[in-house]
Amino acid sequence: MVGGGVIQQILRRKLHSQSLTTPVRSWFSSKNAHVEAGSSGVRAFALLGAGVTGLLSFSTVASADEAEHGLACPDYPWPHDGILSSYDHASIRRGHQVYQQVCASCHSMSLISYRDLVGVAYTEEEAKAMAAEIEVVDGPNDEGEMFTRPGKLSDRLPQPYANESAARFANGGAYPPDLSLITKARHNGQNYVFALLTGYRDPPAGISIREGLHYNPYFPGGAIAMPKMLNDEAVEYEDGVPATEAQMGKDVVSFLSWAAEPEMEERKLMGFKWIFLLSLALLQAAYYRRLKWSVLKSRKLVLDVVN
Amino acid sequence: MNGLLSLNRKHIFLADDEVVDPKKYLEESCNPKCVKPLLEYQACVKRIQGDDSGHKHCTGQYFDYWQCIDKCVAPKLFTKLK
Repeated sequence: MVGGGVIQQILRRKLHSQSLTTPVRSWFSSKNAHVEAGSSGVRAFALLGAGVTGLLSFSTVASADEAEHGLACPDYPWPHDGILSSYDHASIRRGHQVYQQVCASCHSMSLISYRDLVGVAYTEEEAKAMAAEIEVVDGPNDEGEMFTRPGKLSDRLPQPYANESAARFANGGAYPPDLSLITKARHNGQNYVFALLTGYRDPPAGISIREGLHYNPYFPGGAIAMPKMLNDEAVEYEDGVPATEAQMGKDVVSFLSWAAEPEMEERKLMGFKWIFLLSLALLQAAYYRRLKWSVLKSRKLVLDVVN
Repeated sequence: MNGLLSLNRKHIFLADDEVVDPKKYLEESCNPKCVKPLLEYQACVKRIQGDDSGHKHCTGQYFDYWQCIDKCVAPKLFTKLK
């Protein structure tokens, strides 16, 4: 508000200088002198108004911006970050367990099939057994009726709700997004999802969140519909790793990263191989080009001047 | 916090075999590094205490504090996890 006072002073000074110059202007056009004198007052008022509204809107936008974009998440040193680093497959397996037991009640992952998990997180037998636990509606039989059967490897992971409307209805209007691509669908996805899941905190002083929403500084706007889901020992890991909040967060984000980018390991190997080979090819091409051009580049031009 | 706690151990257990979340633990141990933004936040809280308009809030200082803590915790956290 001090800034507002300064701007008002500047505008007042402008008004003074304007009133000083009006006699000069009236010399040029005496007919319009009185009109100009009146309009300069209106102009100054308009300038004042513009300045004040500009300042006010700037200050409110600046403070709204911070919560609007959410707290920037830090960069965590993911084990699969390096140029030749693979996923931690034990972590993916644990992460799938977390997804199944904590997240799958609200979030679908409709692009992943049970067979995708084979060789990544589970053996074929384990994946088959997991698939068989769910019931799937299958196409018309010979009598023209739809029927349910136990799941197979080729089936997609089950969806918790029939459609988006049902999902919104069950969650107070908010749609729990499908998680198949979530780490690619959010800026800095892996770090964002981890920070979000482990970042539920008490709101800052002066911020109150309405009933039904929860405060999360990383969520744009700060008020998220999802409650804190990761709590210590919510899951009992098969391999005996202590299931702390941070551990579950890391594992579930590893799983989600794999789900969004299952081709990552092959991509990195391919990238490394082809960048290496193309660099060799570049060296060869450079040598060959210089070899062919050497004829022209080593020409000598002689100026024979005859007087 | 009573029990065996050491920054060198991978899994942090209290004497009664309760597991402590490494992130919370690291956030607390990073507190001394972020005293300045914490004091700024507390000063802001005090400043807006009497306010009833509902427009004043300390989100800025809150964000500064937590950004400092996050920056301190992030490089160390995964060494504590499997």
